[in-house]
Order: sequence, then C-alpha cells, then structure tokens
Amino acid sequence: MEEEAETEEQQRFSYQQRLKAAVHYTVGCLCEEVALDKEMQFSKQTIAAISELTFRQCENFAKDLEMFARHAKRTTINTEDVKLLARRSNSLLKYITDKSEEIAQINLERKAQKKKKSGDGSKNSKQPAEAGVVESEN
Amino acid sequence: MADDNPDSDSTPRTLLRRVLDTADPRTPRRPRSARAGARRALLETASSRRLSGQTRTIARGRSHGARSIGRSAHIQASGHLEEQTPRTLLKNILLTAPESSILMPESVVKPVPARQVVQPSRQESSCGSLELQLPELEPPTTLAPGLLAPGRRKQRLRLSMFQQGVDQGLSLSQEPQGNADASSLTRSLNLTFATPLQPQSVQRPGLARRPPARRAVDVGAFLRDLRDTSLAPPNIVLEDTQPFSQPMVGSPHVYHSLPCTPHTGAEDAEQAAGRKTQSSGPGLQKNSPGKPAQFLAGEAEEGDAFALGFLSTSSGVSGEDEVEPLHGGVEEAEKKMEEEGVSMSEMEATGAQGPSRVEEAEGHTEVTEAEGSQGTAEADGPGASSGDEDASGRAASPESASSTPESLQARRHHQFIEPAPAPGAAVLSSEPAEPLLVRHPPRPRTTGPRPRQDPHKAGLSHYVKLFSFYAKMPMERKALEMVEKCLDKYFQHLCDDLEVFAAHAGRKTVKPEDLELLMRRQGLVTDQVSLHVLVERHLPLEYRQLLIPCAYSGNSVFPAQ
Repeated sequence: MEEEAETEEQQRFSYQQRLKAAVHYTVGCLCEEVALDKEMQFSKQTIAAISELTFRQCENFAKDLEMFARHAKRTTINTEDVKLLARRSNSLLKYITDKSEEIAQINLERKAQKKKKSGDGSKNSKQPAEAGVVESEN
Repeated sequence: MADDNPDSDSTPRTLLRRVLDTADPRTPRRPRSARAGARRALLETASSRRLSGQTRTIARGRSHGARSIGRSAHIQASGHLEEQTPRTLLKNILLTAPESSILMPESVVKPVPARQVVQPSRQESSCGSLELQLPELEPPTTLAPGLLAPGRRKQRLRLSMFQQGVDQGLSLSQEPQGNADASSLTRSLNLTFATPLQPQSVQRPGLARRPPARRAVDVGAFLRDLRDTSLAPPNIVLEDTQPFSQPMVGSPHVYHSLPCTPHTGAEDAEQAAGRKTQSSGPGLQKNSPGKPAQFLAGEAEEGDAFALGFLSTSSGVSGEDEVEPLHGGVEEAEKKMEEEGVSMSEMEATGAQGPSRVEEAEGHTEVTEAEGSQGTAEADGPGASSGDEDASGRAASPESASSTPESLQARRHHQFIEPAPAPGAAVLSSEPAEPLLVRHPPRPRTTGPRPRQDPHKAGLSHYVKLFSFYAKMPMERKALEMVEKCLDKYFQHLCDDLEVFAAHAGRKTVKPEDLELLMRRQGLVTDQVSLHVLVERHLPLEYRQLLIPCAYSGNSVFPAQ
C-alpha cells in the first residue's frame, strides 16, 4: 500500500516534472521570439522563473476554473468560467471574448454545414478541409 | 395646577388669557411681534444648527400667517373672548411648555369645549372649524390657556415653547386642513407628537440637505480629477489591471459614455443645485470674497487646488456653463448620495456662492487648469481612494461617515486659509471622480446600481484609523491616504467579484456561496478551514447575533429602530 502510494506519488511527481519541462521549453521558445523582437536577451534564470510562475499559475487557474464551474452548478468547465477567470486584465478579457465569439461562430457554421451535409452528403470532403483551414488560421 | 384646570372655567390661566385678549388688541401687537421676533431671532441663532430651514420657514410662515389670520380674525369676530389675535397666538406659542404640552392638551381641551358654549358657533365642539381656518395656530391657542399659568417660567420656557409651538405647527400643517373631526383627542395627539417631532425635524434637514450639496461640489471636483487623471500617468501603475490605463483622450469619452443612469442623476443634480443655490445663496456671500482672492493670488497650495475645483464646480453648477461638468458632476453627486454631511451645510454654503460668482467662471477655468498640475499629486491620493461602491463594505461603517469630512477638514486646516469645508468637500468630491472613471470601463454589464457607487470614503476613514492605530507609529498623511486608496480599491474589487460571482451562477443576489468562493480564492477558506470555522473564530457570538439577522433581513436595519 505504501509502496503504491509512493510509486503513485513518484509517478505524479515525474509527470509533474515532465509537464514543467514542457512549460519551460515553451516559455523558452516564446522568450526567444520576444528577444529577437525587442533585441534584448533573456537570461536562463529569467526563463526558469517565468516557467515556474506559469506552472504555478496554471495550477491556480485550474483550481479556480473548477470552483467556478462548481459554483455555477456544472461539472464541465465552460468558456464562461474562463472569461470569469480573465476578468481582471481587461485586454486579456477582450481577447478571450473575441476568440470565444470566433469559436462560437465557427461552431455555428459547422452546425449549419452539417445540416446541409445531411441533406447533400457530397460536401463531406470539403468541410473537414475547411474546418482544418479555419483551425490552422486560428 | 394642571389637574385643577380642566374642571373649572375660571382658572387662573383662562382668566389671564381673557385679560390678555381683551386688553389692547391692536397696539400691543407691535411690541408683541417685535418681542416675538426678537425671541425668534434668539432662537434661531441659538438653535440654528438644530432647527432646519423648514422650521425657520415655517416659523416665518407662521408669523406671517398669524398676522394675516389675526387681522382676518379680528375682522370676522371681534367680540369673541377667545379670539385668536396674533398677539395671543404668538404668546401662546412662546409660552408653550414641553412637559405641559403633553399634559395640558387633555386638560385644556376640556375647558375649551366648556367654553364653547359661550363662544359662538364658529368655534365648534371639536374646534375643527377653527382648525380649518387656522390649522397651524389652533394648538397654540388651545395650549395657551393651560400654559399661561406658569408665567414665571416664561423666560426659560420660551425657547422650548417656541420650538414646541413650531413643531406643533409643523405637525398640524402636515395634517390635512380638512381635519374636521380634529377632536380633543387628535389635538392632544398632535401635541404629544410635538416632542418627538422635534428631533426628527432636526434630523431631516440634514438628510434633505445632503444630496444637493454634494452634487454641487462634485462637478468641479470631477473636472479637476479629469485633468488630474489625464496628467497623472504614474497612477496607471496602480490601475494597470484596469482598462483605464488606456490613453487619457479616451477617458472623457469613456466617462461620458457611461450607462444612462447618470442621466437620471442629472435631473436630480440640477434640481438639487437649484434648490441649493436658492436655499443657501443668500447666507454665504461672505465666504466668496475670501476664496476668489486667494485663488487669484495664485498660491501653490493643495488647498487652493481643491477650493478652486470646488469653486469651479459651484460656478459650473450655478451658471451651467458647461454641460459636461454638470454631467460628470451628476454621477459624483449620485455617488455621494449616501455620504453623510457634517460638512454638508458648509458644502451647501460654498456651493451657494456659485451663483454669486458667475463672473469668476472664466477665471476659474484658467486657474483650475493651472492648479490641475498642482493638485495632481494631492488629488490622486484622495481621489482614487474614494470608493464608488461597496455597499457591504461601507455598511459596516456608516456611522463613521461624518468622521471623514471632519478628519479631512482637520488635516486641511493647517494648510489652507480657506474654510475647511471647502477643501474637505472638494476632496470628498474629487475622490469619487477618479475611481468612478476607473470603475466603469471594466464593468460592461453594470446597468448602474448607481447608489452602490456612492463613495463611502467616509466609511474608509474608520479603517484607516484602525490601521494607523495598529501601526503603533506615527504615519504620514500621504501614507494614510495611500492606505485609504488601497482599501478603496480592495473593496471595489471585492464587491465586483461578488457581483460577478453571483451573475456567474445566474443570480442577481449575492449569496453566501459567492462569498465563500471569494474567500476560497483568497485562501482564507480551504479544504481544512471552512467558512463557518472562520465565522466562529473571528465573529464573537454577540456580534453574530446582531449581524446575521441584519444581513439576512435584506438591507433593512435589524432590529428596527
């Protein structure tokens, strides 16, 4: 039992480490882009700090999202929960709202196309391509 | 004495009264009225703070009414012993004693019906006709017979008697004139209500005065704060999360594009401004020469900035030079609706100078811009710290509302030569402007619980004092202002979050679940520590018994006062 708990703990820990490493790598890439853009170098410690911060903040976000969903008596996290989370920073909220509206629009288009598809049955090949194109643009 | 009277007609009181009535009805009126006027003047000066303008106007009206009615009464029924000459009426008013007013009516009322047999039908059993004709003056006459006896106490009682009489007149004037069945009971009831009316009438004027005065101040303060916020980029750091860190150009537009509730407030503000200028215009001209002189002298004092803003406000309000300042000031005015007004009368006073200083309007605009830069640092501090909302936060400290204007005035007494209320009021008014500007952009869904945005900055002073107490070391005024500012922002965020949480759950009422969610985010409530545990830990049982019913009663004070 204890061993299972330990291995489980270790697994979780290693999983966490992998996630952290992934975050660290992504943060590093982003920082490189910014460094090229602003012509200012980032030290390793900075990138490490940013990635650690991002990871912890993601944990907080997850907890908050879960709390918000439970507060709204739901079991699924919704875009509304995400918007609530981002309400502090207005620019971020605006961005997220725009994106969510875009996604909603795409979903509506998809539904409309699906309805047509059920009628036509010939646009199957086109639609996944379109959806894929739209997604890649996003 | 009171017990003996009701049974017999020939009581000393009635005899005295008859003597007074029959003796020289005309000539004594002048000395009487003069005496009454002198007494009234004394009363007004002595109780100017407590007596409202209503009482004064009513008193004046009563004196006028007494004279006019007396003349008509004289003409109509000259032969009546119980004729209500203005002299007797005034005498009755002055001689009305507080304690006897409660007792006497019952005793007096009986002799009155007894006397009515002698009197003509004009004075009917219920004296209702008299009341119909002279509603305000009825009770004093009924009281007079009973109260003439304690003539020795005339001097001491006159003030209170006069107030009593005035209040009775108030109560009677409030009642419909068609009080035909104004029996002795009702009259006695009126009289018994006299004393409780007094404190209410004292309290009401203050309440009635608050909104107008505040609105007058807000316009100028808002103008100043507009310039201050546009000139104060450093404040953006504090408000980085707020969209208001956006370009200053957008701020006026943002402000004016605010929800339509300001429009409703505009009408109130205009009415309030009109009322205020009318009521307090004549009384405060003396302050105005001092102020403009100081302003034009160009002193680089913070107090000047406030006073200038204040004067520009008043001038803007009175002269209605600009629609925008008025519009902006309206929101501030509405926000300040709930603020208490220790400085209210003063704010009224200073605001009333506006109409008398219209010519300074142009000078003000120039000076306000000049002082805008001066007042930047100062205005930002108190300005942002004013709260434009947080009913829950401020509900805890409404009683300390008056302390803020006092404390602000005390602080500014050192710096400014001008009357303290002006800068205090200007500070108060400047405060709501900035947070209001900050507040509105991030709240897209706010249809405007306008009263919620009322700057209960006055309530925050309580917390600031607590803070300074626990700091155990002297604190700079700037530091206290910053603390107040931070507290204000904190409460703003708090209430915003509560509102958003409630909306997120599809509700319009904030429930304990929302608060629990908030505390969870704050880290106060965890899986180990629940909300109830915190309540038990921090809220003593006595307060819990008081606060919880109060909170659940739906914004009504519990127990009902």
